[in-house]
Order: sequence, then C-alpha cells, then structure tokens
Amino acid sequence: MTTAIKSAAILTLLAGTGLAGLAAPAQAVTRGGTMTYGRYADSLFPDPVLNDANVDIWILSNIYDTLLLPTDDGKGVQPGLATAWTVAPDGKSVTLTLREGTMFSDGSPITAEDVKWSLDRARDPKNGIWNFIDESIGAVDIKDPKTIVLTLKHPDPAIIAGLSVFNNQIMPKTQFEAMPGATMVEKAKAFAEHPVGSGPFVLQSWSRGQEMKLVRNPHYWRQGADGKPLPYLDGVTFEVLPDDATRILKVQSGELDGAEFIPFSRVEELKGDPKLNMALFPSTKVTYGNFNVRPKLNSGADNPLSNAKVREALNDAADKDAIIAIVTHGVGTPMSSYMSSATPLHTGTGPVFPTDPDKAKALLKEAGFDKGFKFSCLVLAGNVDEIGIATALQQMWAAVGVTLDIEQVDNATRTDRFRKGDFSMRLGDWTDDIADPNEITSYFGYTPVIEAQHSGWKSDEFNSLYEASQQELDTTKRAGQYARMQEIYRNGPTVPLYESPYPVVLKTGVKGFLQIPLGNNIFSGTSLEK
Amino acid sequence: MPDAGYVLRRLLQMVPTLTFILVVTFVLVRLLPGDPLSAIAGDRVTDAQVAQARAAYGLDQPVLVQFGLYVKRVITGDLGRSLIAQVPVWTLVGQRLPPTLLLTGMATGIAVALAVPLAFISALRRGRASDLVIRGAFQIGLSMPVFYIGLVLLTVFSAQLRWFPVGGYGDGWGDRVYHLFLPALTLGVSLAAVLMRNLRSAIIDVLGAEYVDFARAKGLAPRIVLTRHVLRNALISTVALLGPTVGTLLGGAVITEAVFAIPGVGRLMIDSIYGRDYPVIQGLSLTLALVVSLVFLLTDLLQAALDPRTAG
Repeated sequence: MTTAIKSAAILTLLAGTGLAGLAAPAQAVTRGGTMTYGRYADSLFPDPVLNDANVDIWILSNIYDTLLLPTDDGKGVQPGLATAWTVAPDGKSVTLTLREGTMFSDGSPITAEDVKWSLDRARDPKNGIWNFIDESIGAVDIKDPKTIVLTLKHPDPAIIAGLSVFNNQIMPKTQFEAMPGATMVEKAKAFAEHPVGSGPFVLQSWSRGQEMKLVRNPHYWRQGADGKPLPYLDGVTFEVLPDDATRILKVQSGELDGAEFIPFSRVEELKGDPKLNMALFPSTKVTYGNFNVRPKLNSGADNPLSNAKVREALNDAADKDAIIAIVTHGVGTPMSSYMSSATPLHTGTGPVFPTDPDKAKALLKEAGFDKGFKFSCLVLAGNVDEIGIATALQQMWAAVGVTLDIEQVDNATRTDRFRKGDFSMRLGDWTDDIADPNEITSYFGYTPVIEAQHSGWKSDEFNSLYEASQQELDTTKRAGQYARMQEIYRNGPTVPLYESPYPVVLKTGVKGFLQIPLGNNIFSGTSLEK
Repeated sequence: MPDAGYVLRRLLQMVPTLTFILVVTFVLVRLLPGDPLSAIAGDRVTDAQVAQARAAYGLDQPVLVQFGLYVKRVITGDLGRSLIAQVPVWTLVGQRLPPTLLLTGMATGIAVALAVPLAFISALRRGRASDLVIRGAFQIGLSMPVFYIGLVLLTVFSAQLRWFPVGGYGDGWGDRVYHLFLPALTLGVSLAAVLMRNLRSAIIDVLGAEYVDFARAKGLAPRIVLTRHVLRNALISTVALLGPTVGTLLGGAVITEAVFAIPGVGRLMIDSIYGRDYPVIQGLSLTLALVVSLVFLLTDLLQAALDPRTAG
C-alpha cells in the first residue's frame, strides 16, 4: 500500500478511511477493567528517539502517537495525528494535515511546533540509531498551524512508512524542555520517567524490573466501535516475568490476562486449554544463520565460507523442515527470501534452498572441499532455540563432511565479536521496524551500513540497486529492483532458516488485542469481555 | 557482651574488604569480552554510532582515568548511573535490594523455625524412626535443585490450590510477605537442611558433655537443662554457620527470584552482567559485600553473646 501511494505521487487520504483496520468487534464492547500482561523483560528507556531495544519499541505506541499509524497487517499506513498526506509530483516534498483538536495526555494541545520539534529531534544524526529513517528529510516547516511540510533532499519511497515508525512519535516540546538536565540526553532520561504523549495510555507508575502501570489517556483522539473515545480498557499493567514457566502459570492461574513470548514447545498444550486463547500473530521475524565471507578470518586462516559454492552447499544440506519441526514445534515456515513474507516487496515461494544433500556434496567437491572442513558458530548461551538450531545443523552438515563447532557465548560477547568480524558463523533473528523492505535490506546486504551484517559480503550490483530503490517512486520499478536484489542475495552470506509468528497466550475473554507484524503491542482496541 | 570498641574495630575491618571488592569488580567487568555498547546497541549500530556513544558514557577514556573518577565518586557516596536503565545506581539498589533482603530474612526465619525443633527431636531420638524420617526428608530437600522445588510448590500451591499467588512481589508489607512465602519456603528448606544437620550433631555432642551431666545431677528440670545448657551451647556453631550461609543465600536468591518473578538484586545482577552495565555491577557488588559483611558482624555478635570467649 505504501508504495502505491507514493507512485501515484499525489494522493490525499481523508481522516477515518484507514480506521477500518482497527480491531473493532461488531457487537457491544465492554468498557473498563485493567488488563494485566506478562512480559519476558522490562522496558529500558522508553524514549522514541534514543531507545535501542524491542522491549521499548513494542510498547511505545501505547504512550506516544505518530502522524501516521501502521496498519494492522504491518504493510501500510493509516491516518494518525495527521489526517491526510500529499506527496508532491516531483517527490521532493510531503505535506501533512494535522488532526483538529488533539491533545497530549496532560490536556495541552498538540501544536505544529510540537510536530516540527519532534521530527527535528528524530532526524538529528546525533540522536540515536534510528535517524536513518528520516535521512531524506531536509527541512520540516510549519506552513500554517494545521499544515506541516517536509522538504526532501531526494525522492523517498519509504518516507510515508517512515512517519509511522516509533522514532517519529510526537512529543510535547515545552514539557520536554522543562525537564531538569543540562543536555537533551539528560532531559530525555528525566522525561522518560514520566512521559507525556498522546497515545491511548499514560504511564502512571513504573517499578523497574517489576511492573509498569499504564492508565487510559482521557484525551485520546480515536473513537471506538461504540462511538466513544478509545481505549476501552481503564489501564494495562505489565508484569515482568522472565521465567517462561512462571509467566504461563500466571495466566493459567488467572492472575494475568495474557503473556508474551510463549515457548513454541508449549503452544500445542496451551491450544488445548479451553480457558485460553493461544494466539500466533503473523510477524516479520526471520531466523537465520549468518556467515563471515571474508577470504581470511581474523586469525589469518583461509576462510572456506568465502566461496559461494560452499555456502550454497551448506544451505542445500540444511533441512529447514526438520529444524522447523525441532525448534518451533512445527509453528514456523521456511524463509523464502532474506526478508519475511510479511515484508512489502518480498518475492519467492518455498525455501530459498530446497534440501538436497547430494547437490551439497557435489558442490563441495566442485569447490575442492570434498574432504570437508571445520568452522565454528557463535550461539547465545542458554538460548534453547539457538542451541537446537546449531545442534541440528551440526548433524546435517556432518553428513556432507563438514564439522561445525558450537561456541556458546553471552550476548555482549557475541555482538562484540560479530561487529569486529571475529566469527565464522552466528545465528540471529530480525524483525522489521518499518513497513518497507529498505531497513532489513540495508542491514543485510547494503555494504555501507554494516557490511551486510558484518559478513564482509559485497555485491556492487546489489549496492547500486539499493541506492536506486531508495529514490524510486515507481512501484513497479522498485518492486523489480527488490526482486533482483532478492535473487542476488541467494549468493549472500546467510543460511535462511524460518519465519515464525509472535506466540501470545490470552484469556478467552480478552478481545481485540493485537501484536502487528512489526512487533508493536496494540492495546487501544482491547477489551475484557466476560 | 562485646563492647563498642569491638564493633568499631570490626566496622573498620570492612574498609579493606570493600576496597578489595571495588578494585576486583572494576577490573573483572572490564576483562569480560564486549563492553556496555555491544550489549546496549545490539547488532544494528554503525561503528560511528558506537564511538559516539562510547564517548558519551566516558568509556573512551583510559581505564586508569575511569577508575580514578569512579573512586572519587564512590567516596562521595555516588555509585554512578546505570548505562542501560539510565537511572542512578542507588535508585536501582533502593528498588531491588528490599525484596531480596525480605526474601533472605524470611527464608532464614523459616529455616531456623524448621531446623531448631526438628534438630532437637532428631538428636534426642537418635537412631529411632522419627530421627530417620526427619533426616531423610531433609536429605531429599537438600538434593533437589532449588528451581525444581520452586516450580513444584508453584504448581501445587499456586496454580492448583490457589493458596498463594504465582510469584510477584505485591504491594504493602502484608501482601509482600504473602507473595514471598513460597519462595522463602523454597530457599528456607534447603538452608534448614544444612542447619538441621549441624545443629543435630552439636546437640548430640553437648548432650554427652560433662556439664550437662552435672546440670542433670543437680536436679534441674530436663526442660531447663535443654534450653539453658544444651541449646545455648549447641547453637554456637550453628550461628557461626548462619553467617556464611546467609551470604550464599543472597547469591542463591538469583534462581528463586527468576522462578518466582521477584524483582530483587539477583536478577538485577544477572541482567547487568549480560548488559555489561559496569556501574550497576560495581555498585551492586559493593552493596552486597557491605550487606554480607554486616551479616557476618551480626552473627559474630550473636555468637559472642552466646559464648563470650569468641569476642576477641
């Protein structure tokens, strides 16, 4: 949807047309009640711009609003604090109309000044790691109190989707600047303790590592199915419960209304419980292996994985279905590209490399490795899924003569070695933050960002296609560029494994809760029914 | 009874201990592979962003300079700020230490309440069926992993019978004690097993001592002989054991805190180590060292009260 909007170049959407996607039960909705939700980890720093982690990103939209909102399928956008947007015919500017009468949770009006200030802070290259989303914005101008004009440095097919990303959430300038602290970062830290936004909920209290209490924002602009303002709930309480078994027990005992990150091994059992709704929300999550493809390793040794034939052989020898059965208990599906099938402009059906051990052996022989070779894989210590994948790959690759050593390390060690290129292989997963394929593509394949996931993989054709696609407003042409990039990436540095949904267990009375494919937990349309 | 001079001397002895902990944790956290940035920033950041953040956190300065700054701050009572949570370390300690202390305190209370009477019964009925049953039961308690006891208790008493909440910490003191009962029982059972065994053999030793025979010969009532002479003397070695055990308990609370979702320092420590949150690891180590030193001091004072010869 996003790109269609932009290729048309001029398109105005009026308020409300996009709201059909909001999970709205047809019958009467029960208002009131506080939903308790078990999370596997606490938030860290709920600042839209300076955060780095999904534990913040995925709940931020309950506190803050964006000009545009992601749709429920995570593939497009719908009106948010802006009711309409127009992309100029030359693609060099975007005009946004602000919604009338919107307020922050403290009752103060949301002004064009707040919008400009928030976007300027979000796009400042000195602020955090998300400003790449706003890279194309050259200036944010207030045309009149209800109209914002973004002047772009170049046409940007993803800027509309970008405006629905958490880093562009609108914050109250005056309240933020009134915070104690000498620098903007210090002010951000103080503000994050008592955030004021315009999302459906307000942070009421936060006891770190224990619980976070959100209460309904009486000034929220969106209307529910009953014609009264959302949210239906009086509040949401997040309880931090890192232990999977405890989190599940608490839902089973009735102390929680829902819990996230249910281990796949428990999904079947919980599906059988009539009091529970074991939900599997479609996601953009992909789980993959990632090779270092530089000709020499840091140790100075030759690296067989620099040979594309060797990489293809290892991919052919990996039985994706078996891994899906072992690790996800059948819940996952094989990856058909480096990006998830829920990502816009994804191409491909079925596994990227169908299992074929004979072909693998032939390829290894061609590459001169018929006697096999040995390398190691970094695995997150104690992570049952990663250990399961690595052990399965170890056996599958042993069958074609390749020996895999499993090296269990903690996250900081893994990231450190990964970033220094001090690895042969590692396992990882990824979820998109934006309803566009550009984010994953830049990290996975475009050299200047992080050298194709620190793999050292480089394709000049891929790089120039990516650069062109970042300015291509013609949907068909851009889709073509992405199709070609996905084709080239078959020779890339990864072992595509599987896509998997977000496993969430809810009491059957919980209606209208949604985790969209980008990961955001949406409580605005949630209600607690009898 | 030990005098104020003794207490003061003991408090002064803590200074070198705490200095040692400060230096060792400062060095050890920096020997871990990776740094706070690799934990905070994840896979996606670019090298330039890492360098920028490293400078912002002062991690680009030479280690000795960082150490100097840290010591200067600690002396003034400032433990710094968490790199991950972005709040002062003291705030985190203030939020997370009370649950752990309450849990440890309750576990110790439960352990003592279980161990003392049962050790008596066991010792007085040595070799008989009741002795064997008590020792057998504690042996099982001791050999079961803490997380397993915890999960069994949770499944039976919380999920099935609904007598207790499934983990959490609660609001208000009464509610907190209620929430912490099962986890304290989990920890208390294994601690009780250790104490019970020690106390039982101490009682058996004391029962054979001449002064007990003498007390009995004087015609003292058996109850008075047991409480005034046997228990008091037998407790000396058990109290000595209590100090180090409570220290271990503080460390061992990590698993219990995870299973029962208690927002204590155990979990904070683990998260901070994974996150390479240097200021929190350092500040928490110092605080815990201080707490353990104080517990040692308390048990020593208690021991001295029971046996004045030990106060030196």
